[in-house]
Order: sequence, then C-alpha cells, then structure tokens
Amino acid sequence: MKRFSKLLLLPVLVVLLMGADNQEARYQNIGGKIMCSCGCAQMLLKCNHVGCPNSDRMIRELRANVQNTSNDEEVLNWFRKNWGVTSVVEPSTHGFELMAWILPVAALGLGLLLVILLVHNWRLRSANVAPADLTLDPKLEALRARAHQETEI
Amino acid sequence: MPLLGSVCLVFALALTLYCFVVGVIGIVRKDAVGTALAETARRAGIASFVAVLIAAGALVYAGLTDDFSVAYVMHHSNRALPIPYKIAVLWSGQEGSILFWILLLSGYGFVLRVRHKVDRQLVATASVVMAGIQVFFLILANFVARPFGIMDRVVADGAGLNILLQYPEMVIHPPMLYMGYVGLSVPFAFALGALIMRYPGEKWIHITRRWTMVAWLFLTFGISLGGHWAYNVLGWGGYWGWDPVENASFFPWLTGTAFLHSVMMQEKRGMMKVWNVWLIFITFMLSILGTLLTRAGLVSSVHAFAQSSIGPWFTTFLCIIFAVCLFFYIKNRDHLKSENQLESLASRESSFMFNNLLLLGAMFAILCGTLFPILSEAVRGYKITVGAPFFNKVAIPIGLLLLFLTGVGPLLAWRSTSVGSIKRNFTWPLVFSALVGIVLIVVSLPPRMGAATGPWLKTWLSGLELPKFYSWLAFVIGAMVIATIASEFFRGGRVLQGKLNTNIVSAMYHLMRRNMRRYGGYVVHLGIVVLFIGVAGLAFNQDKEQEMGRGDKLQVGHYTLVGADYTQDDNANYTSEAALLEVYKNDQHVLTMTPELRFYKANGGQPDHKVAIHSTLLEDLYVIYEGKNPDNGHPIIKAYVNPLVSWVWIGVLIVTFGTGLALVPNAAPIAARVPQAVAVATLDKQGMQPAGVGK
Repeated sequence: MKRFSKLLLLPVLVVLLMGADNQEARYQNIGGKIMCSCGCAQMLLKCNHVGCPNSDRMIRELRANVQNTSNDEEVLNWFRKNWGVTSVVEPSTHGFELMAWILPVAALGLGLLLVILLVHNWRLRSANVAPADLTLDPKLEALRARAHQETEI
Repeated sequence: MPLLGSVCLVFALALTLYCFVVGVIGIVRKDAVGTALAETARRAGIASFVAVLIAAGALVYAGLTDDFSVAYVMHHSNRALPIPYKIAVLWSGQEGSILFWILLLSGYGFVLRVRHKVDRQLVATASVVMAGIQVFFLILANFVARPFGIMDRVVADGAGLNILLQYPEMVIHPPMLYMGYVGLSVPFAFALGALIMRYPGEKWIHITRRWTMVAWLFLTFGISLGGHWAYNVLGWGGYWGWDPVENASFFPWLTGTAFLHSVMMQEKRGMMKVWNVWLIFITFMLSILGTLLTRAGLVSSVHAFAQSSIGPWFTTFLCIIFAVCLFFYIKNRDHLKSENQLESLASRESSFMFNNLLLLGAMFAILCGTLFPILSEAVRGYKITVGAPFFNKVAIPIGLLLLFLTGVGPLLAWRSTSVGSIKRNFTWPLVFSALVGIVLIVVSLPPRMGAATGPWLKTWLSGLELPKFYSWLAFVIGAMVIATIASEFFRGGRVLQGKLNTNIVSAMYHLMRRNMRRYGGYVVHLGIVVLFIGVAGLAFNQDKEQEMGRGDKLQVGHYTLVGADYTQDDNANYTSEAALLEVYKNDQHVLTMTPELRFYKANGGQPDHKVAIHSTLLEDLYVIYEGKNPDNGHPIIKAYVNPLVSWVWIGVLIVTFGTGLALVPNAAPIAARVPQAVAVATLDKQGMQPAGVGK
C-alpha cells in the first residue's frame, strides 16, 4: 500500500518540481495567457504573422515585465491596463474574476463532498440491514453470481 | 411555393396545437373517450410531420430554383452556388435552421408516434411533451423567424452563402449536430412523460436510454465534424478552440454521457432515479441553452452564423421547461425512490458516481468559462475574455481523471469488489501502463542527456512543460485503459472458449454478440483513448510563417517547403490565388501542396483560405496561403506540423462505430449446459467476481 501511495505521489512531485522554474518558463507561461491585440485572434507568443503591428512590441514589453516583476499577476495586470482587459484571456486571480476560478473547483469539491456523504449515509443504512444478508444461502449467492456471469445481465 | 410553405407551416402549428391540447385531455380523461381523443392527437402529430416536410421541401425548392422573391433565399444563396450548397441553405440562416429544427423534431415525433405500440400510454404522454416543444418552435417559425418572408422587389441575384459554409462538410455537419440536439428532446419527452404519469417499472428507462444513445451518436459525430470543418476551413491550425458555440454543443454531450453511465445503475439496481431524471432534463435544457447561445449573440463567437433577437424567446422557453420539470418532480418525487443503496466504495456503482461527478464538473467548469464574460459585463460593466488557457487549465485535469475512471470502472464489480479481485484485475493494466510511461521517458531522454549532467529524472523534468506532462500522462493512462479493455475481452472470451470449443477470436466475437451494449461500450472507450492520444499530440505542435518568393524555403519540423510557383484563377463563384509548394521531408520530395486564397464575388470579394493538408498517421503538415504582403507584394505562407491529428478522427470513428454496435440487439443466448455442481468454492475464492461481470 505504501508503495502504491508513493507511486501516486510521483505525478504530484513532478508537477511541483516543474513549478521551480526559471524566467524563460515564466515568460512562456505568462505569454500563453496574453492575446495579440492586432486582431489576428492568436496568442501573443504564437502570433508570427508577417507585418504584425503589435506583437513585437508586446513581446518586448512582456520580456521587460517578466524581468522587472516577480509576480505573474502583476505582469498580467500591466497588460490589462495598457492593452485592455481583453488582451488577457485568463480571468485574473483576484477580485471578481477570481470567481471564475473558484466556482468550478468549489462545484467539484461540493459534488465530491455530496457523493462522500451520500455513500457514507448509504453504507450506514445498509449496515443496519446487514443481518438480513447473513441469512442468505452462500450456495444461492454463488448460483446468482453464476447466472449473472452466464446471462451477462 | 413560398405560399405553399407558409400555409403548411400554419397548418402544422394548428395540427401540433391540436395534438398538444387534445393529447392532454386524452391523458387526463382515463375513459374510452379519452383513449379515442389521444388517438386523434397521435394522428394529428403524425400529420404535422407531413405538413412540416412539405414546408421544408418548399424552401429547398425555392433555393434550388433561385427564387429570390423569398427573402431567406435571397440572403443565403446565389445563382452560381453549387447545388449541394443550395440544399444546405435550408440550415444556413436563422429562419431556415429553425424550420430544419422543426422538421427534425416532427420527424422524431413521427417515429415516436408511429411506434406507439411499444407502450401506448407512455408514448401518448411523451407525444404530448414533444408536441409542446414543437408548438414553441412552430410559433417561432410562423411569427418571429419566418422562412417564407417575401422581398419588396425581386433582385437578379442573391447575396450568396456565407463563404465559411461553402465546404462539403457543411452539407452534413449541421444536420448531424441538429439530429443530436433535437434527438435529446425524445428522451426528455419520455422522462417527463414517465414522471407525469408515475410510470410503474423501468421500461421507460430502457426506451429512454436507447433514444439517448441515438441522439448521443449524432451529437458526437456532429461535434467532431464541426471540429474537422474548423480544422480544414478556419485556417488557424486547430480543431477545437473552446469557442462558445463549440462549448455549447459540448454541454449536452457531457451530461448525456453522464446519463448513459448512470442509467445503468437504475437499470441494474434501481438506484439514482432522481439523478437520472434530472440528468435528462438538464441535458435537454442545455441543448436549448446551446441554441440560445448560438443564435442570440450573447457571447462573441467565430461561428455563430444565425444571430438575432430571438434570445428572449429561448430564455422564456427555458424558464418554462425548468418550471414544468420542477413542478412534476415536486409533485411526483416519491415515485423516484431508490430501491437499493450503495454497498461499497470499491464498486461499479461508485465508479459511475465519480464518473458523473467529473462529467458534470467538467460541464460546469466549461459553462462557467463560457458565461463568465456575460457575468462580468453585468457586474463590472465590461466583458472579459475567457480563452483557451482557462479552459485547458480546468478541463484537461478533469479529462485525464475521466480517462483514468474509464480504465478503472469496468474492472470493478457491481455491489462490491474484493481486494483479491482488485489485485487480480488491476495488476496487468497497471504494469502495462507503467511500462509505457517508462518507455516514453526513455525515448524522450537521449537528445537532452548529452546537454545535461544531472540525474536522469532531473534531466527529464528540466525539459518538461505542463502540456507535455499532460500528454505523457494521457499516454500512460490510455495504455492502462487499453489493457483493461483487452483483458475484459480476453477474460470473457476465455470463459466462452471452453463452452463453445472454439478459438479465442471466435469466442470473443460470440461474447460481443451476446452483450452488444457492454462490449460496444468498451469499443467506445477504446475510441475515447485513441481520441485522447490524438489530442495529446497538441503539446508538440510547431508552426512558422514567412514570406516566400519562387525558390524560397521554409523549414518547419522536419519538412522543407519550397516556393515553386504562384497562380491565379477566376470562375463564376470566386477568383483565387494559389501557391504551388514543393514539400521535402529529410531531403526526399514528398508532394506538391497548393494552399489557396479565394475571393467570393457574391460576398463582396470576401477572402477565404483553402488550407492544404498532408495527413499521415504520425502528423499533419498544414499549410495556409496568407495572401500577399501589401508592402512588397511577396506571398506569405504559414505552415504547421500538428502531430497525431489523424488519431482524433480515427478515435471519433471508433466511438461512432462502438455506439452503433451498442445499439445492435444482442444475439440469442447460446444454450450452454449448466454443470450439476456449481463451483461454489471457486467463485467464493474469487470473491464472487467471475469474469464477465459487467455492465
């Protein structure tokens, strides 16, 4: 069981290790959330169309911001302020926009909690009726399992 | 013809209203008169289909004969338009697509009413619900979005079809998608009908499941055709951009998938009745929400073709549906009590519950992202943009968890799974997936080993980005699911092999024929894995754009493109510019590609890219002719190398095939003699989990 839990921890470790990143990774990560504002509908770092009036400048500004600011959110806010709120295609992680991030996680968490509560409740109830199960003939149960196997129903 | 069409639409509305009102009276009156009235209502419903069919035929005829006195035809067609697209005009605009929706709805209603002998009373109630939905759409077609509106003066030629729709897939993508959307109204009608009449037994759920599978099949195929169309037409190098309209088609697909899993708990164990009824209600409501998003212009989308002011109508309709569902649920909720309860977390039931949780979680997350711009505008006064990075961040982890459950679920038995059974069933799939994971790491190591000096894991991790890690995880989990499916077929096949004295392949065939639904389901799972593998290729996409004169070279991935020539063409429908590019791979000539840029005359010279794609099982070379640089007149070429894209389409085909298999009735059971002495001890030893215990 311990081995199994270690195995499960490996992907978590991998993700955490990937978090220990350098400036280039930050640049790539933040750039992946900013859209080129020339109207090409491409992400900033993907915008490579010839003669784009904005992407070179935006990329230069991104590089400078990543070097001068340690907080990724501040960099994104700078772009929101200077290139408009629609230049960033990810909701911010503070204020009202934080809701966009919280809602899905909260819904999943709530759903998970409900499922666990439901299962717990059901198991408690079935424990209460357990004595009735004990009276079942094991031969009958085996026959039932066999019938299940044979009929595939 | 326009007059005939208009009259038929009014007639269809009258017949459907009769079907609805008299149908309700027939249900309420439980005497012989009520039965006779219900029968007349059924016949009126059937006749309404004929009336709608004639109306739709009249519009198609007007399109084919270039009758530009009909405003709809004038706005969406022109003389030079090829005939298949003239037929496709029916669903290319707001009014026509509503008529098409009604045609499909009344078509489904026709099948349902003709097959009333399945269960007369249940079908009568479902028919009334269907008629209610039909009435709403017929009101729209008769008074709000009229397809037979007449022009003040007749023009010589029409405005032409949207150029993005002039593509062969457009002739089949919308009908498939609509068949899916509209098809969901049938399970909704049965579920609501069963709830209204407090239907005894589970027969309704069997009928509903089959109808849902049919709708799900069309929806799956329709969504993937949309992706294929976007990939081939929109020219941005991808097939799924998390566009609101794409998301809208995904919502009912997710909840429909959840229903197709959780319905098994009701069929097998009489559980989750409330949940299933609401899943069906929500799935139908989401299909209406999708239509609302597509048509009302609530969210900006690259392919919302039929925007108008009919949003409030759909919003009102949604509210009415919700109110009706809630009313009958509250009234008859005692009828939906579970017969059994979950006994163990390690069981098939719990895996379905978690599967449902994840599918609904994914739906909710995507819904949040899609509607958040509207919410932000309402609260903050400006519309923020929620794009692909957000959706990828929330949906990919959920998708991978779902893929994991696809592998785990089939290995768990109903009621409870013993530790021994878990060990026995999970060992080989886990070993196989671990091997695949290690092989992938080893294969991806060599180029970096020389450059880095640290330990191998650190070396591997230093070059790993999150998308590539997800991609690796998709392969590893996919391997586990494939091993699971293979082991299920193999173990079941071995059980039959002994009984039938045949080889394992034939035994597996017989196994499948005996339970098409279960093994068809496994084929669907296999298709999902293949689709995930195709999507995993996204992490390795490459692209490049540059000016290319004659003889210039463009290097992307291991392809070299050489500009050979540039040509121009002119025909009745459009003028075009095209590039002739010689493509080399590792210095070997592969093919000549001709990406094109068309300017459609009827659309005021609007440009449209015709992408050139060289598809292999390993990767696609995707080339776009961007036009000429206005500064110097040099042609601009953009090229992408998109790995594994073909597997996305293959995966969809497997999913479609598997769903088709699951709809085929089972073969007659094979007569096998049951031995006198049942191997009780053996079964007990295996924790009562014989091979073949399944869906």
